[in-house]
Amino acid sequence: MINVEKIRKDFPVYDRDIKGKPIVYMDSACVSMKPKQVIEAINRYYNEFPACGGRSIHKLGKQVDEEVEKSRKEVKNFFNAKSEKEIIFTRNTTEAINLVAKSFKFNKNDVVLTSDKEHNSNLLPWQVNDKIEHRIFKFGDVEDFKEKIKGVRMVSIVHTSNLDGTSNPVKEMIKIAHENNALVMLDAAQSAPHKEVDVRELDVDFLACSGHKMLGPSGIGVLYGKLKLLEGLNPFLVGGDTVKETTYSTHEMEDIPERFEAGLQNYAGIIGLGEAVRFLKKVGLDDIREYEVMLNKIITEGLKDVKGLKIIGPEEPDKRGGVFSFNIEGMNPHNIATMLSESSNIMIRSGAHCVHSWFNANKMDGSARASLYVYNTKEECEEFVEKVKEIAKFV
Amino acid sequence: MICVLALIVFGVLGIFSATHRKIAAEAFDCVFRRVTFRKCTSNLDQRLKSQITGRLMRKNVRLARIVFKNFEIISWTLLIVFFSSMIYSGYAAYNYAMYGNCYGPESDAFCPLAIFEGETSSGYDSSYTGPVVFPDVDDDPSIGPEDAKVTVIEFGCMMCPYTKEAEPVVQNLLSIYEGRIRFVYRDFPLSKKHADADWHSEAANCALEQDMYWEYREGIFDMQEMCESKEDHILELRKLAERLELDMDEFNECVDSRRHKEEVMNDFDDGIKAQLKGTPTFFINDRRITGPKPIKAFTKVIDEELKK
Repeated sequence: MINVEKIRKDFPVYDRDIKGKPIVYMDSACVSMKPKQVIEAINRYYNEFPACGGRSIHKLGKQVDEEVEKSRKEVKNFFNAKSEKEIIFTRNTTEAINLVAKSFKFNKNDVVLTSDKEHNSNLLPWQVNDKIEHRIFKFGDVEDFKEKIKGVRMVSIVHTSNLDGTSNPVKEMIKIAHENNALVMLDAAQSAPHKEVDVRELDVDFLACSGHKMLGPSGIGVLYGKLKLLEGLNPFLVGGDTVKETTYSTHEMEDIPERFEAGLQNYAGIIGLGEAVRFLKKVGLDDIREYEVMLNKIITEGLKDVKGLKIIGPEEPDKRGGVFSFNIEGMNPHNIATMLSESSNIMIRSGAHCVHSWFNANKMDGSARASLYVYNTKEECEEFVEKVKEIAKFV
Repeated sequence: MICVLALIVFGVLGIFSATHRKIAAEAFDCVFRRVTFRKCTSNLDQRLKSQITGRLMRKNVRLARIVFKNFEIISWTLLIVFFSSMIYSGYAAYNYAMYGNCYGPESDAFCPLAIFEGETSSGYDSSYTGPVVFPDVDDDPSIGPEDAKVTVIEFGCMMCPYTKEAEPVVQNLLSIYEGRIRFVYRDFPLSKKHADADWHSEAANCALEQDMYWEYREGIFDMQEMCESKEDHILELRKLAERLELDMDEFNECVDSRRHKEEVMNDFDDGIKAQLKGTPTFFINDRRITGPKPIKAFTKVIDEELKK
């Protein structure tokens, strides 16, 4: 069971207020707040051993290597991967997906299948790849997926949508994909921070996520890949620390995962991510999921009957996790977000949430989105409900 | 419409701040799109609308709702008020440039643009509360035909730097309108501000007895600054008479007897009844100009009076 008061004490951001009012942060689908454990881990790197990893054999260099490998192990355990070698640190989900899109040895006219509700990060890498053919299926629709899977080389799908919090039935889809000899890449940016994601149980081939959405620092992400598949990739970013040896005309690539981590790495970010993962495991992802749904129920019950308010996605909160995406008829979503921020320091996101393609296909300008996390309280949700009700009367 | 206001406001602020410059650029884009019948894509208008109403929500939700619902009307109103005040300010600036006062040549009301100049006349705070009585020429020294269509009466203090400052304009007017206007000088000595100012007026009247009034008055203006620093002003007045080769026995007797004191005080009383606020004050027929002003302020009024 979540003890939110205790958890909030770990988040220094709640020590501050803005113009005398406390902060009500409900934009965690974009970036989560950071616990002091993560901040201290980052500071520890900069204060105690701000040196090179993977290259220098001095004591500080060794300490960097040890801390990085500790984090890699934490992340490996977090996703239940077989080996630390399957964990590659990237800048974020976007870079992780691009790494696969650009490094996987596609044949001309191979088909990549995505859903119709993908973040631009899982749409653009395929759209700009002129070697492959890009197809889409309806998000969450297994029958449509079965129909479209024939002849597909790779499926690249979002696990949980950042737009409305709904999830694809990925376990079933992965099974179907494998039965049809297709590989599956999972965009877990919105699922990994909020629920258990077990790569072995899912049998997923690749998985990408970002540190900044799961209590970790910005500028750090993860690509998981089955070792055999990673061995077949042709790194698209090469340079420092990606090779064992070079001559003027030849090179010998470094082992996995280092061959995919080109240049000096974001060591503070990696170490911070390791701490974030530890924090999440300590709180418990099942409890986090349950708690977010409970908060979302307060909001949904409070607002579902408000005149002119339309929830994006299913009405049942347990199908949307901690996301409450909505529109008020006759009001621009940016107006809603700005008024909440200006009047009560309630911070939500507005716009197309980088899923422009879905909004364009559905002839909508965007939505207002409250996204909850482990540090939000019932009182905050009740205040959000009251304020949105007031705003809805403005129309 | 709020984008037009934002463009002006943030355009000015943008001179000093990069953040405001960015908003000004957005506002410009928004205005440009509107005038070319396209949609404003930056959403600046919506952002400003929701920021304003959001802040109002903190104070009064009902007021915020009214503002939100009528935002376009309020924006238009503000825009009209803004441009009206700009036009009015432009008119005031024109008046100030031409006549030295925001409200036109005859006004002596407070002009905000004049704050940069400091005082523009030697002020006088009267306790007189009776009706305004426009002054006549009395029997004071004058230049020009008695039957002139336009009479210019100056109430001045010979020790007042602003009266001195106005003198070149007076001389210029006498030259331009020679034979067409009558100029009369009446005394309004501000003795509380300028020591022995009344004695200077009386001494000038003594010079008038020897037909040397205007020369003596000119002489006082010339030695004004020097006089301020001297303790014995009477001695300086006698020296001036000597320089102008007046009959000194006659002059000294006149000054010592103070026989023009009543005449000077009579002028002063008439000035009070005319509710003078300072020196110099001019009455062109019954139209008043306070303080030294550009010559256009005078010629405009004189020409209008001559045309009547």
